[in-house]
Amino acid sequence: MSGRHPRPDPRPVAGSDDEIEFHVEMRTRRYVEAGLDPAEARAKTLARLGDIEAARTASRAIALDMGGSVTRSAWWPSLLQDTRFAVRVLRGAPLFTITALLTIGIGIGAATAVFSVVNAVLLRELPYPAATRLVVVWNSYEQAGLEHAAVSPEEFADLMAGAQAFDRMAAARPQATTLTGACGPGASCEPERLNTYIVSPNLFEMLGVNPVLGRGFTGADGGTGAARVVLLSDALWRRRFGEDPTIVGRSIALGGLTFEVVGVMPAGIQFPDEPIGYLKQRADAWIPRSWETVKDGRGNQYLAVLARLRPGASLGDARANLAVVAADFRIRFSDRYAPPQARWRLAVVSLRDEMFGDVRPALLLVFGAVGCVLLIACANVANLTVARGTRRRREMAVRSALGAGRGRLVQQLMIETLLLTGVGAGLGILIAEAGLRGALALNPGNIAGLDGARIDAVVLAFTAALAIVTGVIVGLVPALGQSQADPQSAMADGARGVGATAPRLHIRASLVVAEVALAVVVLIGAGLLIRSFVEMTRVPTGFSADGMMTAGIALPRAVYLPADKAIAFQRDLLSRLSALPGVTHASAVYPLPMSNDGWSGSIVIDGRDDLPGLPPAHAEYAVADPHYFETMRIPVIEGREFAATDGAGAPSVGIVDVEFAKQYWPGKSAIGQRVSPFGEPGVGPWTTIVGVVGHVRNAGARAAGEGQFYFSGLQKAEFGMTFVVRTTSGPVALAPAIRSAVRELDSNLPIASLEPMDQVVVRLTARERFNVAVLTIFGIVALTLAAIGLYGVLASLVSQRVREIGIRLALGARPTQVVRRVVAEGLGLAALGLVLGLASAAALSRVVETLLYAVAPVDPVTYGLIGAMIMGVSLLAAYWPARAVMNVDLVSVLRA
Amino acid sequence: MTLDRLPQGTLDLLILRTLAPAPRHGYAIARWIEDTTDDALAVEEGALYPALYRLQRRGWIHAEWARSELGKDIKVYELTADGRAELRKRSAGWTALVAAMTKVLKAR
Repeated sequence: MSGRHPRPDPRPVAGSDDEIEFHVEMRTRRYVEAGLDPAEARAKTLARLGDIEAARTASRAIALDMGGSVTRSAWWPSLLQDTRFAVRVLRGAPLFTITALLTIGIGIGAATAVFSVVNAVLLRELPYPAATRLVVVWNSYEQAGLEHAAVSPEEFADLMAGAQAFDRMAAARPQATTLTGACGPGASCEPERLNTYIVSPNLFEMLGVNPVLGRGFTGADGGTGAARVVLLSDALWRRRFGEDPTIVGRSIALGGLTFEVVGVMPAGIQFPDEPIGYLKQRADAWIPRSWETVKDGRGNQYLAVLARLRPGASLGDARANLAVVAADFRIRFSDRYAPPQARWRLAVVSLRDEMFGDVRPALLLVFGAVGCVLLIACANVANLTVARGTRRRREMAVRSALGAGRGRLVQQLMIETLLLTGVGAGLGILIAEAGLRGALALNPGNIAGLDGARIDAVVLAFTAALAIVTGVIVGLVPALGQSQADPQSAMADGARGVGATAPRLHIRASLVVAEVALAVVVLIGAGLLIRSFVEMTRVPTGFSADGMMTAGIALPRAVYLPADKAIAFQRDLLSRLSALPGVTHASAVYPLPMSNDGWSGSIVIDGRDDLPGLPPAHAEYAVADPHYFETMRIPVIEGREFAATDGAGAPSVGIVDVEFAKQYWPGKSAIGQRVSPFGEPGVGPWTTIVGVVGHVRNAGARAAGEGQFYFSGLQKAEFGMTFVVRTTSGPVALAPAIRSAVRELDSNLPIASLEPMDQVVVRLTARERFNVAVLTIFGIVALTLAAIGLYGVLASLVSQRVREIGIRLALGARPTQVVRRVVAEGLGLAALGLVLGLASAAALSRVVETLLYAVAPVDPVTYGLIGAMIMGVSLLAAYWPARAVMNVDLVSVLRA
Repeated sequence: MTLDRLPQGTLDLLILRTLAPAPRHGYAIARWIEDTTDDALAVEEGALYPALYRLQRRGWIHAEWARSELGKDIKVYELTADGRAELRKRSAGWTALVAAMTKVLKAR
């Protein structure tokens, strides 16, 4: 005992060995001195020391731990050691590991798949520089529910002159056409239907993108009489012209007219890259036109108008500016814009909101559902870990007794959990990949950017973050509970194999309550969407789609002008189609109902011009051939439908629907009334109404739509008709016959679309279908996971109380009573979760409100059904483990 | 009478108490407990060493090197100020517990 001043221990690990050796030697000597023979003395000494090896290991572990808390170098080996240990532990408990991995995999997989969609659809940037300053300007007729209505060229010209908040303005309209002839080496030379847009020459200058090849449009390109020029998209250039670098300056035939290619736009620019109102298809090519010079009726509204805000101008400034322009419109064209009932104004929306806007609530809902599922998965794995922890307490207690600090134990558990979530996340990525493929197969086709969804670096980073967060949530709850285990009692308990203490079950019960609550929220969301979807499909469309086949055909103007050629083609094709076996009716229409292709505008009604204060009449337009209404089974309520005699030379006739008739000739017959489509008040020429037909809901259940006006297809030539055929032999079987009928008339004519009508109708509700499918899947997953959680807790409750239950049974309780008690306990937890879940769902109801049709967000039917479902499933999940009570072997339990 | 299991925390208290009069090495601690209790507490002597580490880590004792009876270097443990405080606290707790237990056990 020298030196009173402590010095640092230079040999912390070896020291304990020396000490123990010294101890053994000293005590053995003492026994020998007392008269024992050396072997006996040594044996007695060792017995007294107990498990020396354990003591050594423990001392070493503490020394390591002490080092670990001080220096960094000891931390890394301990991490490696713990990781190796964790792998061994997890492999030693395959059932736990597999269940946990699957649960985490499903949770993270769902979240990853959905995030990749959200990433593709919501978080994407528009492909134009300074895109935040790009806006869209619409006519807004609040009265008619048309808040994003198209603009006529004359209105566009006035906007350009009057709107000071914008640097530049451009307009565009879609124009489907046919590309014939020219093609590059190795590319197909079949006639091809193209989506082109006729755009203001400065469109791309305004968007801020330049061609990669050749030049952009100049102002001179858009004038009447200017040489015909076209800009190609990168996709068309590759597909059709084999990336021909000499394409600029060559001529191509569009719709039978010759256009000179002046340039190729960069890849990734196919304006409109996302739908802008009714501009839905991505472009293959663009044709210039100075829209502001076009004079074809102020009411003929078919343009989408885009603008770039002046630097420093805000959306609010633009709104104020447009209000001034609108005021000027009201003065100059009072009968068109001024009537207060029309509630007309000029609306301005940011391009980003226009392109992405209305998918946001649906995607956020799905994202929320996925968050809930992930949390449930976390709770479930945490639950499993806690349950397993009950069994592992002895191990932990021993380590703690041996001196492992709380930090080290938590580290050990965290490593195990992170290992689980890491591997689970890997599994999740595979699940996400498969799920994404499924989602793309379900792709409604009208969610902008969905096809761009893929698992890329951003998504992987998100998944990694998710795995870490999951690991921390899953690991921390049980780890904190675990490391508090007090060694002495745990070891004592452990010996008897009973380990759960009240607080531990309390944690597990709370987790289960939370799981049930989350599952309820997801299920309520799914239930509401399903109810709303059922309501939507119940709304009559106004026609019968059964057994209908549709064929869209775009006639090239160059070939089919003058218009009577196009009309003759229609007559010829219709007579051929009618003659096909199995066909009962054939006709043609533009636009096809519920096809998302819309056409509307103002309409002047004879005798109504001098009624100031009334909004201008506005209608959905369509062109229909003879027998159209009979073919579609749209009822003719009054008068007649179009006949073969309503052709050129015959008096101009039109048909309106009941809505139009009711609105504009209330209490009178519409037959014989006169209207002037797109015209100016009091001018004409007049078209006489010969029939009143049923209303067709072109927007499906979402909107009733406006009143409708039909032109006679034999009088107003339309080059993009869709032929509709009613068949008794099944619509799909008819496709080859339709194809050959078209080919016999014009072998250069491509068929733009060929699909059964019910498919067209289904596509209209595709987005709702998509939401319903996704949420239903998540709902089922959530319910299953929550049921597993409840089952697990009750099962371990039963097994841990087996002794108590045995005593009860021995004291004369009937097994059914005990079963009832356990089930009641489970149902109690489920009921608590249900109440919390219903309350949360009600609190979140505003989120789903915009997605629902004819269903209140707090719908008693849905809430009731989901409640019953949760309690039913909980009953099953509780009854199963409770039944185990029946099999309790009294003798062995009581003896234990 | 011997106890077949030490109540939790007892070993720590025993060590602290043993070191109160003077610094000792591990074997000396075992011997002191043995002698003082007439070997009534069956201390598993191996467990002493992890416990010494644990107490060191908590800062209640610290170790110094000294020459042993056998002429080798060996660690000698000594109470720190914190250790003394802990010993006072634990002794008081223990005495109170024993008094209370005694009352309970003698109650009619």
